[in-house]
Amino acid sequence: MSYAYLFKYIIIGDTGVGKSCLLLQFTDKRFQPVHDLTIGVEFGARMITIDNKPIKLQIWDTAGQESFRSITRSYYRGAAGALLVYDITRRETFNHLASWLEDARQHANANMSIMLIGNKCDLAHRRAVSTEEGEQFAREHGLIFMEASAKTAQNVEEAFIKTASTIYKKIQDGIFDVSNESYGIKVGYGGVPGPSAGRDGVASQGGACCS
Amino acid sequence: MHEMELHDLSDDADYAASIQQGSESLNRGDSSKRSSCSEPEGAEIVYAKDNVTIHPTQYASERISGRLKLIKQGSSLFMGKVRNARLSEKVKNLYTIKAVSFSDIRSIRRHTPTLGWQYIIVVLSSGLAFPPLYFYNGGVREFLATIKQHVFLVRSAEDANVFLVNDFQDPLQRTLSSLELPRAVSVANSPSPTLSTESASGSDAEKGASDQSSVSFLQNGRQRQKHNDPARDISIQVLEKFSLVTRFARETTSQLFRESQIDGFSPNERKKHSQSSHENQHNLSSHEHQSLIMSNDSQKVPEDVSVTSDPPSDPLEFDRLSLVWGKPRQPPLRREEWATFLDSEGRVMDSKELRKRIFYGGVEHNLRAEVWTFLLGYHSYDSTFAEREYLISVRKSEYETIKKQWQSISAEQAKRFAKFRERKGLIEKDVVRTDRSLSFYDGDDNPNVYLLRDILLSYSFYNFDLGYCQGMSDLLSPILFVMRDESESFWCFVFLMERLGPNFNRDQSGMHSQLFALSKLVELLDNPLHNYFMQNDCLNYFFCFRWILIQFKREFEYEKTMRLWEVLWTHYLSEHLHLYVCVAILKRYRGKITGEQMDFDTLLKFINELSGQIDLDAILRDAEALCICAGENGAACIPPGTPPSLPLEDPMAYPQLDDDVL
Repeated sequence: MSYAYLFKYIIIGDTGVGKSCLLLQFTDKRFQPVHDLTIGVEFGARMITIDNKPIKLQIWDTAGQESFRSITRSYYRGAAGALLVYDITRRETFNHLASWLEDARQHANANMSIMLIGNKCDLAHRRAVSTEEGEQFAREHGLIFMEASAKTAQNVEEAFIKTASTIYKKIQDGIFDVSNESYGIKVGYGGVPGPSAGRDGVASQGGACCS
Repeated sequence: MHEMELHDLSDDADYAASIQQGSESLNRGDSSKRSSCSEPEGAEIVYAKDNVTIHPTQYASERISGRLKLIKQGSSLFMGKVRNARLSEKVKNLYTIKAVSFSDIRSIRRHTPTLGWQYIIVVLSSGLAFPPLYFYNGGVREFLATIKQHVFLVRSAEDANVFLVNDFQDPLQRTLSSLELPRAVSVANSPSPTLSTESASGSDAEKGASDQSSVSFLQNGRQRQKHNDPARDISIQVLEKFSLVTRFARETTSQLFRESQIDGFSPNERKKHSQSSHENQHNLSSHEHQSLIMSNDSQKVPEDVSVTSDPPSDPLEFDRLSLVWGKPRQPPLRREEWATFLDSEGRVMDSKELRKRIFYGGVEHNLRAEVWTFLLGYHSYDSTFAEREYLISVRKSEYETIKKQWQSISAEQAKRFAKFRERKGLIEKDVVRTDRSLSFYDGDDNPNVYLLRDILLSYSFYNFDLGYCQGMSDLLSPILFVMRDESESFWCFVFLMERLGPNFNRDQSGMHSQLFALSKLVELLDNPLHNYFMQNDCLNYFFCFRWILIQFKREFEYEKTMRLWEVLWTHYLSEHLHLYVCVAILKRYRGKITGEQMDFDTLLKFINELSGQIDLDAILRDAEALCICAGENGAACIPPGTPPSLPLEDPMAYPQLDDDVL
């Protein structure tokens, strides 16, 4: 399927916060409580439309356990967007955000857009992190913030798309050089390319790897 | 290559040198040879046998008979098979085996079934193999005897029906020239006489002259080959090599076949083209190679020819599929056979033989619970039935003791024991995300899921320094599924973790040492692929991380995983066979990886998506062959103490403690 741009996303956060479930809800519009834990990394993809342009999101869903950090770090390379996820019912997953963020800042592109997601907001009765705390952390660190539920799908669509809009705006503003793939963006067929894109050369590769 | 000098096989030396030096110097070497040798000398036919037949499909009507000849030219021996002239008038598209130098032949396997015709399978040093040649008029023995008069031929120690040609060569060099596509291409493109091709044309000049065609072509071959399209030769080599083996091979060949048509000719068109062209001879070799795959009907696509999914009507058919690499896989070890390995008191009499047997065939499922305990080192091979029974009861009470350690932690105590809470929480989160699609683990409140939890938590107390890490539940799941007993599963897991524990070191040192060894092995066994990874910044081999961490558990279906594990656990050829499995898989897909110019991201995604696509038996055979051929050089790539080798003597087995230990 043709696309104007392809954005690489990475989903990070502690184990068990619902990274894989958020991805599945976004790509397949379903919640699967029973699934295998992620070893290494899993992939998902979906087309969205921004400003009437088809945009393909290629999403990397990473393993959350601390031991795998050294591996996970290699996945940041070339990501245009990141979803940093914590579980509103488990305080420690919120407490670890700073260390995740540090990893992201260190190993990802400086212009990577980061969306902070407080997942499992359907479990309000077990809440251990308030919405305000999430907002404040996001504000302090320059992140976009949303609470979401992979189970009820609340805000899932919005989180992924809002991140993409942010990236798209950065392209429009010329912050991203779309001809440089280290920014996590590939220009594809079927849309208006960025002003400086070496379009054809990039497009065929993008199409091949993500079809 | 210096070994060659011991044997007067100038062609062989040229061939070997050419492989090392690439095609440019190859031309040079060839021309120098031409000027120095007084060829063409008289070529002598030292053996000829009519009615040697190829069965391209299971249909008798499609069988192709011809004359098999051994041609001696100078100091070299060639084998050629020509079409039956009479047949060729009916069948336009001929099926002919190129004249091949014995310096390019690795082995000949003889099959003498009690019913049906004798046949041979010729395996080239490149790893390619011809389809079986059926000797309708007999003569296999004479054929082999004749060869023996002219080239160095020894019977394989492993299999009395396998005859190794020129066995003096360094096996590593053989491997290096075998599975690798670029080198195969350079050979195919080279004007070397060793791969000169016999005409398969329907052209007038060839008709009725089939007896000489082989020899004459040897003389002309070098000019003709120069005009070959390299891209076509790539596909041809691969088509030959993989055409009949596996479903994967079928996909690959069909894909390559499609790619080979990019030049604008469908196979049929190309055929017409080549027949009508004045330069038809230049196109013949590639066309003919296609017919190797496509039998005598050029309109068929390769998929139609492969019979892997159809039950073969010919009992010999299976052998046709087994393009030789490692040995054919055997059926799993059955209970009756298992009993023959035990003496009257239950000792395994020949553990090496047992491990070998399991290496080649695995274990029947209902026998696994018994046999795995030996493979994992829980029971020693020389233990008796009674000793094992006693050990089991001792271990059971030991396990109960360990389990009580965490079971006795009260809620009040747990409140003040964060490490325990975290560890327990993590395990509880993970066991409900482990193989739940299997009926053994599915559903709410499944007792087996609780067993997973209890065993993992107990293990994390048994080995508190290592603790729990994600991936362990993947390793435990098949063990519990097989053992069906909590204590037995625990101890089998303990012994497995003696080998694989370092995979879960906090600093990932165990993983890094294996990935490093893997990169060294690829460098040794597939240098072009190594260079490709180097150029594309992929040398960390993180794309193989999951393969190694949980021993391919996510790459194969459950039953296949268990089969693979028991093969790995035999440590029969190497403790590190799993690394050769990695190499074998990468090699299988290297054409795609390099052809599509995959970068790290694309490669990672591609490797991830191979899950469920890998043909285990074929890969095991490749891995076996790679391991044997790499030999000492391969072992030298793997630093001492690399998992699953037992760690070097170290009083602190898991020294890398830090605050994050769970």
